[in-house]
Amino acid sequence: MLAVLKSIWLITRRELAAFSHRPIFLITMFVAPLGFLWLFTSLMQAGLPTKLPAALVDEDDTHITRQLTRILGTMEETHFVMQTKNFTEARQAMQRGEIYAIFRIPKGTTEAALTQRQPVISFYTNDSYYIAASLLMKDMRKMGEMAGLAMTRATMRARGFRDDQIMGTLQPIVIESHPLGNSYLNYSVVLSNLIVPGLLMLVAMLTTSYSLGNEWKRGRQKYLYALGRGNVGAIIIGKLLPQTALYTLIFWLIDLVFYSYLQFPCQCGIPRMMLWGFLAVLASQGFGLLMFEAFPGQMRMAMSACSLLGVMQFSLAGFSFPVSAMDVPFQWLSNIFPLHHYFLIYVNQCLNGYSISYAWANVAALVGISLLPHLFSFRLKDALLHKEYRA
Amino acid sequence: MIQPKFPILHVWWDELRELVKDEGILIFVILLPLGYPILYAMIYDTEVQRELPICVVDDCMSGRSRDFIRRVDATQEVNVAAHCISMEEAQELMRRRQVFGILRIPREFDLQLWRGEQTVVGLYSDLTSMLYYKVEYLAVINVAQELNRNIKVREHQQNTTAREEDLARWPIRFEEVKMYNPAGGFAAFLIPPVLMLILQQALCLGVGMSMGRARERFRGLVIPPSPHYKNTLAVVLGKGLVHFLLFLLMAFYMAICVTRWFSLPQLGHFVDLLGFFVPYLLACTYMAIFWSSFIFRREDCILLFVFMSVPLLFLMGVSWPGASIPPLWKAVGTVFPSTWGANAYVRIQCMGASLGDCRQELMMLWVLAGVYFLLSCFMYMFEIRKSVGRSILN
Repeated sequence: MLAVLKSIWLITRRELAAFSHRPIFLITMFVAPLGFLWLFTSLMQAGLPTKLPAALVDEDDTHITRQLTRILGTMEETHFVMQTKNFTEARQAMQRGEIYAIFRIPKGTTEAALTQRQPVISFYTNDSYYIAASLLMKDMRKMGEMAGLAMTRATMRARGFRDDQIMGTLQPIVIESHPLGNSYLNYSVVLSNLIVPGLLMLVAMLTTSYSLGNEWKRGRQKYLYALGRGNVGAIIIGKLLPQTALYTLIFWLIDLVFYSYLQFPCQCGIPRMMLWGFLAVLASQGFGLLMFEAFPGQMRMAMSACSLLGVMQFSLAGFSFPVSAMDVPFQWLSNIFPLHHYFLIYVNQCLNGYSISYAWANVAALVGISLLPHLFSFRLKDALLHKEYRA
Repeated sequence: MIQPKFPILHVWWDELRELVKDEGILIFVILLPLGYPILYAMIYDTEVQRELPICVVDDCMSGRSRDFIRRVDATQEVNVAAHCISMEEAQELMRRRQVFGILRIPREFDLQLWRGEQTVVGLYSDLTSMLYYKVEYLAVINVAQELNRNIKVREHQQNTTAREEDLARWPIRFEEVKMYNPAGGFAAFLIPPVLMLILQQALCLGVGMSMGRARERFRGLVIPPSPHYKNTLAVVLGKGLVHFLLFLLMAFYMAICVTRWFSLPQLGHFVDLLGFFVPYLLACTYMAIFWSSFIFRREDCILLFVFMSVPLLFLMGVSWPGASIPPLWKAVGTVFPSTWGANAYVRIQCMGASLGDCRQELMMLWVLAGVYFLLSCFMYMFEIRKSVGRSILN
């Protein structure tokens, strides 16, 4: 036992010495994750994008349409940066990317409204920019709906109805929406909370296969084997322990910034999120190790596989486009990615504050991905003894 | 063995030969741009979330509440997967992830409507994905507005003719036009900028790996000790040309084949696309050459370039609105061709814009191409001097 511990210590010490000699380790393992933390939290600090540029095409230009547009101008998401009477001009501005939406009031709107001839107002959103378009569409729809209701309200008031009677007529059914766990619909809560840990997990995957493969590249794999006295478990632990410690500490720092400094919702308490963070780091290292065992000794292939799959996990995790909306093969495939399981645990624990028993399968999956490489450690042993680096 | 006459062709031929021989580089310059767009397009091919399971707690149990539920169930967005008798039961289904939203109809629903009062229906959405909230809210609000209009015209404002009823229902009509992505689909919005990002990242990885390999082979130098590698311009142009031409093919494969196979927006004309791809790929190629000069081992480029993809996607201002990006990050984004390239491509290909409409982006791409070309020239000039110095020493 003591001999094993000594081997682990010797390998760990050697690994730490390697880190101190290579700036690339410092950049990827330390500077990049912290840089991403800064980038994403400051990029989305507004939470929900507001005051998005739009154009107003008021062909009618009467005091009523001006009142309508003033109301629209006060809305949260809309900021009219362009006012014109020519629709083509607005459309060209949209193609130049200056605006995301056009609100159009055609000529004769007021006249048609006053004479009860059902005017048509239209709004155009540029759905190539999905989030901006969705938010602007919401405002414009609300405005369109309200314009109609305001007309009926005026008529009803003239007929002598009370305001409560009017509301019961205009909007008998009111929908009260409760977005659970993130009531301000803060995009940063949804995205930063997963992209920043996701990038850290990607870095963990890549550096796992990089630092292992480096032994073959430098032709030191046999020396490593001797240092571990032939115990593959000790070699893996010795090699990966410094990274596990560093990534876990960074993960915890991220947790503290999110839940303590930025006050993102955290129903389960920070210590528990730290535990899931630690598990996510282990699973990511397990994934990297598994890729290395799939291509034993071939650093480049293992890293290519890690990077191709690792970048894909951001899509297949399901936080931007839900996994349930994807085709079935992709729903299965999503299960191999640690980020997908971390995401579901995060939703269960941090966002909703449910019992972990509802997400036990995801915890088991993370543990499974961390332990799976040990089943194939014979491949690593074989590579340590017999495989050479292939350029 | 073919021996081209001019140094530029010699460099070009050498680079091409190295590229074809090296399977590591081939993965990134052939497999990645060919396969990744298809994979990504397949992931998002379903475009929208349909029939999202939700459950209903109907405390009213009246004909009118059942009508409301039936209408919600009939929408394409959601599917009423369960009827619960209490909120506790509904919450339990949500915890088990069998449903992703709860629609609660209050006990007084029918009574209040008969009295001519307002009634409040609760919608509780799981925020696992923002999209869940969006589709549930849309489905329920559309049904509520439709019912509100029915109640208004049938119960409160008695009308005599169909036209009068229609007018009462819609005093002002409004039409929503989703331009350039009529279905509001995810693939049509996300894939076009991702294609541009794939081009840039694949170029960086391919060039970086080739540069790392050269440094490993030539003991820290990026050029071989050969008389053909004495002219800076010939080296920079020769090396750049290989990657530029290869990726021009890849760009058209993405803009034509992938776009057509997955029915993504394709409004761009060939000439406009060519006018955009030339500066974009030149900027990407020379950026890749310049940044790769800092790569000393071939695998290092994977470590350095891969995880940049996700931040670059956000700096483009397509997924996160450009108008909401803070000035500092906007400035950081300007040094990457992908920021300008993705916006220009989306406008040309998805929105049918002409090259003139993308004047600013194209100008910036030409400026970036020029700056990175000059930086690459300086870098190679320095490397050539180093190589000459070493050969004299040897």
